[in-house]
Amino acid sequence: MSRQNDGFEFKFLLLQKVLSAFFRVVNVFVRWDRLWYLIGAVNIATLRDRLRRDNLHHAGYGVQAATPWMPGNERWRSADGSYNSLDHPRMGMACSRFGRNVPLTEAIPDSGEALLDPNPRVISCELLARKTFQPAIRLNLLAAAWIQFETHDWFSHGQPIKDDPDPFKIPLRQGDDWPDRKPDGCMHIRRTCPDPTPRETWLGGTPTFLNRNSHWWDAAQLYGSERKLQERIRSGSDGMIKLGADGLLPDDDIHPGVDFTGFNDNWWIGLSLLHNLFAREHNAICAALKREYPTWNDEELFQHARLINAALIAKIHTVEWTPGILGHPALRFGMHANWYGLPAEASGVPLRPIRAALGSESEVAHGIPGSRTEQHSAPYAITEEFAAVYRLHPLLPEDVLVRSLTGSEETTYPFLDIQGEFSRPLMKKHGFADLLYSFGTQHPGALTIGNYPNFLRQFQKFNEPLMDMAAIDIMRDRERGVPRYNRFRELVGKKRVKTFEEITSKPEVAAKLRKIYKDDVDRVDLLVGTLSEDLPDGFGFSDTIFRVFILMASRRLKSDRFFTDDFRPEIYTELGMDWIDNNSMKSVLQRHVPELAMPLEGVNNAFAPWNKI
Amino acid sequence: MGISLRIPGLVRLMVVKRPDEMLAVNAAAGVDRPLSGRGGLFNRSMAAKLQVFRTADGEIWPAFCSRNDAGRMRRSKEVAETLTDIPAKLQSIRGEIAELAAYVRGNPTARSAGVIVQQAVGKLFFADYRASEESFDAAQTLSIWLRALPLRTRLLRRSGKVQAAVDEVLRQARQDTACAHGTGLALHNIVKSVELMRKLARSESRLKRLSPAEAVALTLRGPPSVVREARDRVREEKLRARERSIVLMAVETARKRSSDPGIAFFTGQWNECPAHAFVPALLAEVWKTASA
Repeated sequence: MSRQNDGFEFKFLLLQKVLSAFFRVVNVFVRWDRLWYLIGAVNIATLRDRLRRDNLHHAGYGVQAATPWMPGNERWRSADGSYNSLDHPRMGMACSRFGRNVPLTEAIPDSGEALLDPNPRVISCELLARKTFQPAIRLNLLAAAWIQFETHDWFSHGQPIKDDPDPFKIPLRQGDDWPDRKPDGCMHIRRTCPDPTPRETWLGGTPTFLNRNSHWWDAAQLYGSERKLQERIRSGSDGMIKLGADGLLPDDDIHPGVDFTGFNDNWWIGLSLLHNLFAREHNAICAALKREYPTWNDEELFQHARLINAALIAKIHTVEWTPGILGHPALRFGMHANWYGLPAEASGVPLRPIRAALGSESEVAHGIPGSRTEQHSAPYAITEEFAAVYRLHPLLPEDVLVRSLTGSEETTYPFLDIQGEFSRPLMKKHGFADLLYSFGTQHPGALTIGNYPNFLRQFQKFNEPLMDMAAIDIMRDRERGVPRYNRFRELVGKKRVKTFEEITSKPEVAAKLRKIYKDDVDRVDLLVGTLSEDLPDGFGFSDTIFRVFILMASRRLKSDRFFTDDFRPEIYTELGMDWIDNNSMKSVLQRHVPELAMPLEGVNNAFAPWNKI
Repeated sequence: MGISLRIPGLVRLMVVKRPDEMLAVNAAAGVDRPLSGRGGLFNRSMAAKLQVFRTADGEIWPAFCSRNDAGRMRRSKEVAETLTDIPAKLQSIRGEIAELAAYVRGNPTARSAGVIVQQAVGKLFFADYRASEESFDAAQTLSIWLRALPLRTRLLRRSGKVQAAVDEVLRQARQDTACAHGTGLALHNIVKSVELMRKLARSESRLKRLSPAEAVALTLRGPPSVVREARDRVREEKLRARERSIVLMAVETARKRSSDPGIAFFTGQWNECPAHAFVPALLAEVWKTASA
């Protein structure tokens, strides 16, 4: 029994051992993405097994006990995520600890000068800063908003320490135009909110932090991660979410101009669009359930609608957003199989016999939804490494163009004017339909080096100090003990690189990296390395990020009782199962904004650019 | 420059013997105590060996904790603070010192030197610590385990003797890993020093002539070697180590070559032994008592 992983262990079956050994040899010569897509998909599944065995590490729960049991916890999601695992009620609940994707002994921050080396502000200015906007042409801007919408479901480290007495002091070079230079000549970065829970001695030097949100894929960004907040979000009637007379989410009393919803930090108009869309979807599900089950009370309707809505969001992410950003045939096939299982045939290859041979319990054959719940080698938790690889700020553009469906006007807004307190006024001015149309018809930024939005490099939120988010992103990984790029590669099963030219084929980028990292390729920060890396064909982010992605994307489903053992009509209702099965992002958009029929006509993936009319 | 050995799939090793190199590699940021097991079969087997030095709760013994482990630093400081009042500590183990002095003089003792040293070390942590032949056997098993070649390692592991030894040392140390380190591993260096003192004292004239400080200088021994891992490539001024190399620091060899006796305890380094001042004082007291 593993001492550190709360007794969870994952051992390979014979087939997994054979495939793992086979692809280890194959991958010495050919990377998975250069194989024929069906073989590539098997290769990915094998990599996932290896990651499930080696890259899940428990860092303790932190929280001492689950919230008291409430009737219904066995049938639907609790507000804070407790009792998803009935055997381990604390697993994945809000305010429990982040886990790890690397062994704890590898997740120890540098100390002293090494922690600040190279200077994160220099990295921000020299490597990350956007010179010209590089668009991701296969995606629309909704895809950028979507991933933030999703990460707000999965994790939050909370607010950094206010008036931190011991911030990171980043020396500023002469001539640095940083406006908030402190008397000590440095830029100060506040530390992550500390974990006050008792520390287990076996953690060694690994720092721990609490996830303020429920770790589960439970749409907590809409519904909140605590019961009291959830009750304020609900209308109290027919299970519905409270909407204003204008059909929009209400204003947040504490943060005027921001919508009141489950999680509204870092708010901007893109999040507002998606929150409003899925709040409407929730209410549409409630209305349908009410018609089908007229005797159900508010609680029954709300909780069932939440289950259905959360599953629909998870499905959209799995079979639409992911293949949108990772446009590789093996991935398209793999993500489809993750949700639906293997098709009867692909490219003329009959897969039915394979499905039969793998058996009715197999997640590969029949998809993860409805398969057996499995934690593999550690209790479920979102990990620090997962949070690190989801630093996707380059997706944001500097400006957003607002178009009208009537084609009569176009207005360009600097990003700062569509975020925070400006969000609701903008929504009121342009309306839901026009804003969605605008998002559908413009591109996000590409996830590449030198494309970090400049407005985020000098950004001030309400009541917060001025921030260079790019420097903060670098410091957060270092502070949390996330290994740097080269060691990270090794730990997720990739070969270490020996030269900067192995990271990137762009000589000018390699030269800059060499200069800033003083010719030491092992010091390259994870964010910098992953943004510099040459991408596999069709990919929107790097293969190194992808390793964490294939592990955690499946894990969010496979570990969750409501996507596995309890993904059945008795829990979701027949209507719910049909709703999840028959809907997509496109159908959701069309249901709530019928005016988008034309822009969406012929568009197969709602995260790809729409038609301009 | 240390000696590097690399056989793909089998071993990635670097041996350092020179004092300056040893201190440089010890200070290198990319070199740390936890072993990942990467780098080859030898590296994996070394990592597996050190894995046994944990409590049932998974707490790692201090000698194997990361340099940046705040808990290790705190515990090390606590132990060092308890050992600052050396005269009082020596007074608390005067019985054991008398026994060791008798042993050094060559007189018969009721217990082996190892048991006496183990009890002396244990009493620094718990006043009522009682060592026995069984507990010293356990400590010896751990010492053998660290030096064992692969076949013996396998036999020891399969026999369950190692885990039993770890459990026994921890039981005696009341699960205190600092005490377990002292009474299970570090005591062997003191035992070695006492054995050398006994040899030195065979000549009555030397026993009378040599001052305690001189005797300590001649007999003080550190651990024969300690291991680290270069997590990333190390490119210090005097050193080049590949990533995931096991770095074997031949402490005893370096000590012999160094004019600084503190090198055996890494005095002034991040991994300074908290007993770095106490152990020489203890040995001096033993010699003083023996020569009185």
